[in-house]
Amino acid sequence: MALLQIAEPGQSAKPHQRKLAVGIDLGTTHSLVASVRSGQAETLPNSRGEHLLPSVVRYLADELPQVGVKAQAHLVDDAANTVMSVKRLMGRGIEDVKRLGENMPYLFEACDQGMPLINTVSGLKSPVQVSADILRALVQRGESSLGGELVGAVITVPAYFDDAQRQATKDAAQLAGIQVLRLLNEPTAAAVAYGLEQDQQEHGTIAVFDLGGGTFDISILRMEQGVFEVLATGGDSALGGDDFDHALAEWMHQERQIPAKLDLAQQRFLLRLARAGKELLSDLQSTQLSFEGWPGTEAYADLELTREQMNLLLDPIIGKAIRATKRTLRDAKVTPDDVARIVMVGGSTRSLRVQERVAELFQQQPLTDIDPDRVVALGAARQADVLAGNQSGEELLLLDVLPLSLGLETMGGLVERVIDRNTPIPVARAQEFTTYQDGQTAMSIHVLQGERELVQDCRSLSRFELRGIPAMTAGAAKIRVTFQVDADGLLEVSARELTSGVAASVQVKPSYGLSDVQIADMIKASWTNVEDDRSARSLREQQVEADRLVEAVTMALAEDGERLLTSQEQQAIVNQMEQLVLARNGQDHHAIAKQIEVMAKASDAYAAMRMDDSIKRALAGKSVDQL
Amino acid sequence: MDISQDYFSCYGLPCDFAVDLAVLRQSHRRLQQQHHPDRFVSQPDSEQRRAVQITAYLNQAYATLLEPLKRGIYLLQLQGMDPLAPNNTQMPMDFLLQQIELRESLEDMPRAQDPEAEIDVMTSRLQLQASQLENEFAQAYGSSDFEIAEKTVRKLQFIVKLQQQLDALEGALLD
Repeated sequence: MALLQIAEPGQSAKPHQRKLAVGIDLGTTHSLVASVRSGQAETLPNSRGEHLLPSVVRYLADELPQVGVKAQAHLVDDAANTVMSVKRLMGRGIEDVKRLGENMPYLFEACDQGMPLINTVSGLKSPVQVSADILRALVQRGESSLGGELVGAVITVPAYFDDAQRQATKDAAQLAGIQVLRLLNEPTAAAVAYGLEQDQQEHGTIAVFDLGGGTFDISILRMEQGVFEVLATGGDSALGGDDFDHALAEWMHQERQIPAKLDLAQQRFLLRLARAGKELLSDLQSTQLSFEGWPGTEAYADLELTREQMNLLLDPIIGKAIRATKRTLRDAKVTPDDVARIVMVGGSTRSLRVQERVAELFQQQPLTDIDPDRVVALGAARQADVLAGNQSGEELLLLDVLPLSLGLETMGGLVERVIDRNTPIPVARAQEFTTYQDGQTAMSIHVLQGERELVQDCRSLSRFELRGIPAMTAGAAKIRVTFQVDADGLLEVSARELTSGVAASVQVKPSYGLSDVQIADMIKASWTNVEDDRSARSLREQQVEADRLVEAVTMALAEDGERLLTSQEQQAIVNQMEQLVLARNGQDHHAIAKQIEVMAKASDAYAAMRMDDSIKRALAGKSVDQL
Repeated sequence: MDISQDYFSCYGLPCDFAVDLAVLRQSHRRLQQQHHPDRFVSQPDSEQRRAVQITAYLNQAYATLLEPLKRGIYLLQLQGMDPLAPNNTQMPMDFLLQQIELRESLEDMPRAQDPEAEIDVMTSRLQLQASQLENEFAQAYGSSDFEIAEKTVRKLQFIVKLQQQLDALEGALLD
């Protein structure tokens, strides 16, 4: 009699059975879950046939939280317990959140871990927990649609997400009990959704143009034989379709000479009218905007909006995206002619004017056949299918780059870059540093992310200390700091003193990440402030040099100044030193450099005397053959 | 995959300044396909860590061999030399004077009548110089004259830095 085969729960009975894996687009306003079924990637709907899950969670006193449409219904009547746009809070500190705070009706509480907590009726909730609740809902939908337990998920993140934001996303998945197969950059996922790699003849450069409601991202990828390689990413995190609505509303405001002060209801009215007009002009050449139902005592006549007029209003905004695109093309070292395909992502790319301007730049029509709201989730589903091991042979491989440069703090508040932005990951880089003072036995390692030259302008990711360095003269110790970034873009830093082997390492779990606007600003500022930075850098360098000189001379004077110099000579040196300290505390690096020179001259003779003296003392009492 | 071998060996390329970029690109892609952490998702942690190390090594190797300047420096490092040593700063006077002149015209460029045209002129001038230096390097290295090769690579570094500044300027003018 044949024995029945019984499998462990959770393990599949047949090894060749298809493994269930999903792709998740964890979005700011809505989220999606998708999977590959019968060779096709498709987004999975809920029982009411809805594909988009609003990224909203409502916490209740004694019940499980509500997620999605149900929660969304209470955004106004239970604002304090209904959390939306939590993606903006991921990996952020309380300071960042305060800046966003005006639009957020929640009670925040600071916490040691860095990320602020939201005070709800069901207790304190961290952004990671809220995201985990959204992920749980998506996974449940995935499991009930696919009819089994999932082996894991690919979760997408914006390409510009820094280490803290990626880590927070991964933590949320862990909290929701999901095995993360990979954190995937959204633009890469979009390119994968079109299956461009399936045609083996197909190779070339792909641009992914992602214009959402409030952010714009552009990525340049190269695809060859199933390998997608991100060449460069860029964008503007304060640019999106919402700006279109505001521009149109502003125009109506002026055209109809509505008094400058609008109340909230009137603002909403104009924005709603703007959105409606924008959508109608996708099919029509012109439309009448009706002020019927205006929430006020005045009456306004209908207003004609033509496509030309709308284009005139949108062009300056789209122009910003086009400029960012050109810049990123330069970063990737390609020209618009080199680009073989353009993938459109984000609801705002439905705008015909956007499509026209993109076509004009690249001299070809962009790809628009996949719903721009779902394209990211569909690509993630394809990647999940590959990583779960359901495909064989020529497999899809996605090679990503680091979105923001990583570096370390050095003397004078300067950042020494260790890995540049747009470097392919995984990557490991080591840099050697040395001690600044004689007898220094510890070194503080401060890890930063950003494009600027000064510590204060970059994001602090982590600080740790390397202790137990054997006491040596300044500059003799060799401390090697190694950065390692894995395929998900997560960083690990270790430090080792090479002569003694003392080591310290830290998995960078930053307390907070960068705000989107900060990232855009930081990248932009690194371009516009090159001059500023350069003179700031020179200033710091001269200050460090001055401090070093003052310290050395002060120590020497204390040691043997009395013995070797007359009091007049001592006074002369002290006078020059005071001048140097004055210059050092100023802002003019030329002045410091000049005074360093004067000071060095003034102390030259003294240094020579010390040298002679130490040789004499070393030789004292020794005969020639002893030497 | 042995990550202690030199970068040329790992791609099966001869240890030389002339590199077939098509072969390099293809081998890199093939090795990434084979060793990328994505291929080890269901393997134990130790396998995954190893995959990260190998691909980090490959990315470093690829970036080094792709750029002539980095490749030149690496070849000399394999010979036990250190062309980037900070005390290694002696340059011939005529070369330095030429660099100063180029740098000055770069600084004046934003105020020029047609900066983009001037950028183009300077770019082609730098490209010509770079390719001459690359030829000189290839020759010197090929005949094992490493001292000359080292001098050449340091000149090339000046040119590459200047080109980077020129690129930055062009980017700034675009806005």
